Amino acid sequence: MNINWTKERSLAFTRFLTISFLVVAGALIFLIPFITIWYDSVSGKDPIVIVLSVCFYLCDIIAIVALWNLLRLLTNISKQELFTEKNAGCVRVISWCCYGVAAVFAVLTFWRLLALIVAFIAAFVGLILRVVKNMLTAAAEMREENDYTI
Amino acid sequence: MPIIVNLDVMMAKRKISAGDLAEKINITPANLSILKNNKAKAVRFSTLEAICSALDCQPGDILEFVKDE
Repeated sequence: MNINWTKERSLAFTRFLTISFLVVAGALIFLIPFITIWYDSVSGKDPIVIVLSVCFYLCDIIAIVALWNLLRLLTNISKQELFTEKNAGCVRVISWCCYGVAAVFAVLTFWRLLALIVAFIAAFVGLILRVVKNMLTAAAEMREENDYTI
Repeated sequence: MPIIVNLDVMMAKRKISAGDLAEKINITPANLSILKNNKAKAVRFSTLEAICSALDCQPGDILEFVKDE
């Protein structure tokens, strides 16, 4: 079994998934009004089309930022640049994006209590990414020290 | 930086070029340049031993401690 081939293929698949999500996030910009109207019609609760649209648009923008940083991260990984400050910065941005989504859904909780679950999950993922970012920063420092040990 | 690498002084005394020294001690010229320009964060004993052997000197001839003002 050729391990290198599998690694490259896995990276290509991840890149394909990220680009697919980016396309979906881009398409959602045009679809959000229809989705919110449809949701309001089936939910049977007080209409919150405007609130929902604003929340979804904010989350969509945040998702595009996160996906763009994920793509940058994947590009760096394919260039064998793993433990660098640049990558730690990308993970930090993605982590803040998760906190952003958590904040948006926390506000949405005033209208729909179930949004609290999404807010909690987003904040939890943000926390995990923050730990990963701290680990990457430490690894980048160690790599630099190793590179400058003659 | 409190520890100064005086490799260039010793190299001038022994009249040896950076390329020749790098080849003798089996490190890349880029790494020797890092060492010479005081950019290194650490020096392995094996590297120090090879340098001392190639330049026929003591570690103290290459490394110098300067107190921070």
